[in-house]
Order: sequence, then structure tokens, then C-alpha cells
Amino acid sequence: MKRYDAIVIGGGHNGLVTAAYLARAKKSVLVLERRPRVGGAAVTEEIFPGFKFSMFSYVVSLLRPEIIRDLDLPRHGLHILPLESTVTPMENGDYLAAWGDHDETRRELYRHSPRDAEAYDEYGRLMHFMAQAVKPILGMVPPDPTSFAPGDLAGLLKLGRHFRGLGSERLHALVKLMTMSSADFLDEWFETDVLKATKSASGIIGTFLGPRSPGTAYVLLHHYMGELDGVFRAWGFAKGGTGAVSEAIAAAARGFGAEIRCDASVARVLVKNGRAQGVVMENGDELRADTVVSSLDPRRTFLQLLESDHLPSEFVADIKRFKFRGSSGKVNLALDALPSFTCMPGVGRQHRGAFSISPSLDYVERAYDDAKYGEFSRRPYMDIVFPSMIDPGMAPPGKHVMSIFVQYAPYTLNGGWTDAKREAFGDAVVNTVESFAPGFKSLILHRQVITPLDIERITGLSEGNIFAGELALHQLFFLRPAPGWAKFATPVRGFYQCGSGTHPGGGIMGASGRLAAMRILKDGT
Amino acid sequence: MSRNGGGFDAIVIGAGANGLVTAHYLARAGKRVLVVEQRHSADPSADIGWVPDAVIRDLGLAGAGLRIEEPDPWITAPLEASGGGTLELSRDIGRSAEAIRRISPADAGKWPEFCQRMRTLAGVLERLYLASPPDIESHDVRELARIAGLGLYVRRLGKQTVIDLARVLPMSIAELLDDWFESDVLKGLLGALGVWHLKQGPRSGGTAFNFLHHHAGSPAGVFRPARSNITQALSGISGVELRRGERAAVLAKNGRASGVVLEKSGDAILAPLVVSSADPRATLQPIAFELDPEFARAVDNIKARGVVARGTLALESVPAYATLCIAPSLEYLERAYDDAKYGQDSAAPYVEVQRTDGQLELHVQYVAPGTHGDLLQRVAGVLNVQPNQVQLQAAEQSLYHGELTLDQILFMRPVPGWSRYRTPIEGLYLCGSGTHPGGGIPGAAGRNAARAIL
Repeated sequence: MKRYDAIVIGGGHNGLVTAAYLARAKKSVLVLERRPRVGGAAVTEEIFPGFKFSMFSYVVSLLRPEIIRDLDLPRHGLHILPLESTVTPMENGDYLAAWGDHDETRRELYRHSPRDAEAYDEYGRLMHFMAQAVKPILGMVPPDPTSFAPGDLAGLLKLGRHFRGLGSERLHALVKLMTMSSADFLDEWFETDVLKATKSASGIIGTFLGPRSPGTAYVLLHHYMGELDGVFRAWGFAKGGTGAVSEAIAAAARGFGAEIRCDASVARVLVKNGRAQGVVMENGDELRADTVVSSLDPRRTFLQLLESDHLPSEFVADIKRFKFRGSSGKVNLALDALPSFTCMPGVGRQHRGAFSISPSLDYVERAYDDAKYGEFSRRPYMDIVFPSMIDPGMAPPGKHVMSIFVQYAPYTLNGGWTDAKREAFGDAVVNTVESFAPGFKSLILHRQVITPLDIERITGLSEGNIFAGELALHQLFFLRPAPGWAKFATPVRGFYQCGSGTHPGGGIMGASGRLAAMRILKDGT
Repeated sequence: MSRNGGGFDAIVIGAGANGLVTAHYLARAGKRVLVVEQRHSADPSADIGWVPDAVIRDLGLAGAGLRIEEPDPWITAPLEASGGGTLELSRDIGRSAEAIRRISPADAGKWPEFCQRMRTLAGVLERLYLASPPDIESHDVRELARIAGLGLYVRRLGKQTVIDLARVLPMSIAELLDDWFESDVLKGLLGALGVWHLKQGPRSGGTAFNFLHHHAGSPAGVFRPARSNITQALSGISGVELRRGERAAVLAKNGRASGVVLEKSGDAILAPLVVSSADPRATLQPIAFELDPEFARAVDNIKARGVVARGTLALESVPAYATLCIAPSLEYLERAYDDAKYGQDSAAPYVEVQRTDGQLELHVQYVAPGTHGDLLQRVAGVLNVQPNQVQLQAAEQSLYHGELTLDQILFMRPVPGWSRYRTPIEGLYLCGSGTHPGGGIPGAAGRNAARAIL
């Protein structure tokens, strides 16, 4: 029987990145994906005939540039199309827009508040600096502050020097970003409510927190780290949907010699004498490897793939405590035509960008309040894009696809999710959009509503958390996923983790997958 | 404007605990000190919070009539769900566990370990609080050695403590308590300490820190700060001149403080050193023209939103409890906070009655700025008394002069980079609860400030 150097469980983008890097280092690598296609939560599917959707994750920006370079992804079909604008319709019929043209954005802001237009550039500069300051940390294996190992002490020292090297102003800003709520942080800069609401929205994505909850400012920064062709905070679509990103990484991995099997569901990791030996498939087949890597989230990696007697009980307790609390849903629509929004009637360039349904801080905060007590938001926050406007291949000629990212939809809904509740949630979403774009509902040809429970069922992400574990301060860095085990190794020798549930986690970033591969290669398989 | 010399070496603004502590430390170092206080008489209400031993010892407060109340049981909470009765927690961990056992055997089993773990963490804070905050930007060898010593001290407390510190401080008190306990009443009365004086709900990150902050100074198993008469005791000791009923503003020119100006008379009193225990914003905003714009902006950005009303409760007979807490669950607290988020008083507020010297004092949270329609009725309703038995005074600003959130503590308090009691105005210092370590520890900031000045 063939023995692989490494088996990667799960063909999401991080699993594929790990596989590609290992294969690039001349290892024999096998990727096992449960679903019929690779990608995990970054997949493109033709849900309705002729209409293709980035079913879950829908925008790209955080993908690390070094990965794009190392794996030569453009050669494997990665093509990112820029997403240029964001329009926020307001309840009074006005709007706030951010355009691709910086000066135009400033003029638009000036219309709302001359003071904010002034502050906008300085704010942008600071966030740019901050993202630069945090970037090296994302690329570093977190040192363990509880350890006296020379490597950890050196890592801590390096970290300390890095922070001190930032200078007072940025160091203080960093502390604020790490600890404040996005609403409070933005209050220090801006006065226009709708601007604060729209900016703070990127601080709540994927979290079970409201814009006034401390800790959201960090997620704000996390989303600022996007870098496309060296331009910060630039979001884009992958031509062909986010599935095309996964396909490109898979193609790169195959190019380096990795083998990728779909419809291959792993039941558990084979452990003998405290060492991983391979995996057992659902159908009972055993596959052998020197190293086994899981790209699944921490809960499934440790509580499902392993028997708990292979793990220290404290570690198991830590993993059980790791919070998921999925809060996001998705509504994918096939449209007969593009909707016209009251605030900016007609069809035009605004449809080439995003619509953010975040008219005020109170609006977003109230959406959170509903979820806090176990209901989906009656009037949710939404991030709306029309991928077919940018990539016509996504829909039949003349028709369109509309992607609506929705918050909040709690995984733990009062009374549990049922088909009827799912449709009620879909109705709340559609009706809210209708209130900003009358007539929109009559354009809907098909509708797919995805709840956090659906995300869990389809992708395997526990509780439907899109970051494979909340990006909360106490679940970051050397605490992700558990203290002492944030360096991709696990208590089982030869068994590694590489998913978004490890540092730095979150978004189509690939950093976890890359760092894990580096660690595995350093340990030597 | 008449010039009123007087030959003082230092003027302290405010005769609260911190102002008086600073004044007496300065006096003990041989300075002639004048304290100016706007109130005509001393505030009769109790001082709430840990009085550090060092302050008591250094200023001889034991001989000055200082009384610290350590009620036992330290809290009483009504049990509505389990058909009446109360949950009473005592200073004795075992006895508390027995009380908890009646509502949840599982929680009772975890109580002793919970108390120990929290005590260890609060111990780390205590160590940080009795000195100036660590200056992580410093290049001074002594300061770096102090920080290293602190790190080593924490590391010696064990791996678990390091992990707990990193995990717990940024957490929400709800997450922390949900990790440990199942009983709503227990989590409610503990959770209340996590949101104490904070415009946050128990599900907000950083409230676990606020919980530990207010646990500092208390023995294991006691999660309410001590109550004392420290301000009264300090007013009684001699050594400084105290002038009441005068509101003073800092006199500053060309980046230098030269004294204070009394609001009523317009008289100036000169001194080379001015120390303010008032709110940093109230102290600095009137002299903003003397400040660097960046610094002035940082001062404007201090979050100090008032959410607490304090007052008194009149009952016909003295109740049996020492502290009565009405916060029956974390959800109750969270919903009380929800109202505050939208600028309203809580429909069902968190209410605590504190008996000190036979007097019943009230802590009511959350109250919004502005008018308070039927707050008295609501509080009376919660306590099951008549509205005319309740007297309340809502604070528009945080009584701590700055909320104790993670972005406003240690080297970030009162404003980032200016945590060592100095200000950009030469000769002007701050010593109130707006500075490190903040409110709820009467005298700690005052002592640290005096030591920084000397």
C-alpha cells in the first residue's frame, strides 16, 4: 500500500495551500475532500440552471500576496476583478457612497460632513499603518508566553521589539484597536452616523458581537489587511466566483504533484503509540502517511477525528470551550433584472460595487440585539453584491445573480432552525431589501437561503462560523485554538492543524495553511 | 484680580480620597499644601473600594478613625425562581458553597476553585496598581528591569495564571461565568460586578477585567469592594490646609502651571505645583489652548459616560442584609444595558442596596444622561417599596472620571502615553481616579501620584 508523506484532511483553501506548499517541497501529498468539489466554503456552484454563485464566501482580498506569488496562482487561472464602490442607502432616501475614485469619495463625504471628509484621509493612513504593523504578526508563528523554551523567549522578545518599534502613536492606536468596540473607535474619528455604521459593519462580520461590543475594532482592522496588487483595503471578485480561487490553488498543488481526491470522507485519524499513522475513511479504507494534517475547524479536528484518550484532558476542555457561535447567513438570488434603489434610482455603476444595508449604528446594534436573544434580525445588516455585473459568466445573458451576506442569524435559534424558519429568515432579508429598493421582489426568479445550520451541514464549519472559530481577542494568536497548541502541532505526534481555526485565521487568507506547511517542513516528516 | 500669596508649595484640587491622600503625602515630605474643594461639607456617603494597606500605614489612618466594613454575608440576593428565600454568600468559602448547593450542587462544587483562580488574577492587578503603570515604551534600564520583574512574577504564579490572564482579561464576564456556573442568580450577582460603573453589558468584552478590578483587595470568595470612611478619616488628620466651598481652575501660561484661580472671587492662589484630583477633562479642557492639539484630542476622547445613579433608601426598620443585589440573571443585566445603548434608563435596572452605618445607600444602573422620567418608580418597583422612600442622584459622567475599559487602563490612562500623573503642563499633575489605577480603589491613584511627584 502506498504510504504518503502527508495526508491533508479537507480541501478548503487552507488545506489546499498546505498541500501545495508540501508538494512544492517534493513531498508526496494526498488531499481528501468529503464533498464532490474542492473549496470548502470557497466554492462556486450552479445552484439554478445557468446561475452560478459563490455559495458562501464571496469576496477576495485577504489572500496573502506571498501565496499568490509562491504558488503562481494567476498562471493557474486566478483572476481578480476589482469591486469598486460601496453605497449605503439611508432610511431618509439619501445615501452614502465610497467610490473607486478617492477624490470623489471625499466630495461625497464632504456633503455629509466637512469634518469627516478631513478626518477620512488621516484615518485611512492610520489604518494603513496599523495593517502594516500587524501584518508581520500574521506571518509569524505565535510564541508561547507560558514556555521557557529559547525559541519562545526569542519570539516574545522579537514581538516586544516589534511593538516598541512602532512608536508611541501607533502602539497606542494598536492597543485601542485590539480592545475597543468599532463604534467607540470610530467615534474618535467621525461624526456621520451612517459612515460609522458602514465602517463598523466590517467589524462585526463573522462575530456574535454588535458594533458597540469591545473587540470589534480588531475585526475592523483584520478586514483592512486586504491587499490586492499591493493596494490596501481593496476587495475584489475572483473571475468564476470564489470557487475559482480554490480551483487555482488546487491546480497549483496538482502541478507540484499533489493528489486530490473528492468524495473522500475521512472518519478518523489513525493513531498508534501516540503517533498519527494515517486515516480511516468512512468506507473503512485505511490510508497511511507519516504526517496527517487537518484543515477542519478545531472542534472537528480534535473532538471528531480523534478519540479523546489520545489527548490531554485539559486540552480537550480548552477545545470544548473554543467559541464558534455562527451568526451569519447568506441569501443567493437569481434575478430577472437588476433592482433600482430609491436612494440612487436606475441601474448603473453602483451595481458594480457593494450595497451595504447599514443605515445607522442603532440599526446594526438592534440587529444584534435580536440575535442576542436567540432570534434572527428582523431588519438585518446586509452586504449585497451583483457578481454578474463584474463577471457576466455568472448568469445567463440579461439575467443577474445577487449575493446577500446577512447578519445576524444565530446558529442557536429559539426553537431551532426549521424549513419554515429558514424561509421566514429569507423573507425578512428580501423584505428589508424591498424597503430600500421597491419592486425588487418581483425580479426574483430563484432564491436560496443559507442559515448557519446549513453552513455547518454543507461545509462542516462548526455552528456555521465562517472563521472556523470566533475572531475574539481571547481566541487569537497564542490562544488560537488553545493555549500551548497554537503552533500548528497537536498533542498527537505527526498530526497537525492548518485551518482557519489556527493563527491567524479568518477569511480567504491562506496564512494558516502556509504557516502550517512551513512548520511541518521544519519539523521534517 | 487680587493676588493671594499664602506661600504654598502645592495646591491640590479636590478633597476626595485621592486628593487628600496626595496632599498628605506631599505634606509629609515637608511641603506646604493647600487643598481646595468645591463642596461645602464632606460627602457623608461611604467610600466604596479597596483601601490599600500602604495608604493606611503611611498616613496613620488607623489612628484617625478609619473604619472598613467587611460585612458577612457580603451579599444577599432574592431567589425568585426557587420559590422565595435568598442566596447569601459569606466570607467563608465553605459556607458560601453550602448556600450555593441549595440552588446548584454543580456550582457549589466549582465555587472554591473559582474563588482561588480569581484571587490569583486579582493579586496580579493589585501588584500593578500600587505603582505607576509599566511604561512599555521606556528605554530606561530600571523601568525595563521592573517590567521584566513583573513578567517573572506572573510567570512564577504558574502556567495556568499566564493563560488565565491572557484569556480572561479581554473576555466578557458572561463568557467567564458561563464557563464555570449554571445558576442564573449566582451569575447575575457576580456579573453585576463586571459591569459596575461601565457602559457595557455582561456580554461585552473586557467586563471580566472590570470584575477582577473590583475584586482587587478583597479576600478570596468576596466579590464586592469594601466600604469605608476613608475620606472622612483623611479629612480629620492635620498637616494640610483645607478650603471648602471653592471651585478652582488651573492657572497655566506658556506651558507652565502657576497656581489656581478661585471661580467665585476670581482670586488667584499661586504655587509652583498644582495637583488635580478632578476629572482629567474638567481639569485640562479649560486650558486646552495651552495644550498640544493631539493631546487635547486625546483628552476629549476619554470615555467617561455616566451610567450610575447613587442615592439612599429609607426603610422603617434596619434590614437584615448588608448588601442586597437585584440582578437576577445575566440576561436581566444585558437587557438593562440594552436600554442604555439607545439612551434610555433601564426599564428594569440593576439595583444594589448597601447598608453602611445603618444608612442604606443605593447603586442603580443603567441610567442615561438627561431627564429620568419614572426612574424612582422603577427602582421602587424593583425593591418593592414606595417611590418616596427612594432618593437618587444620577451622574452624567462616569464617577470614575473614565470608564475602566481595556483601552483606558494602565499606560493608556488617563490618555495614552501620559499615564504617569504628569501632564504636558509643567508643574501640573493629575491624581484622581481618572488616572491609573482608576476608580474603586480610594487612595491608590493619590499615593502613586504623590510618589511620582516626589
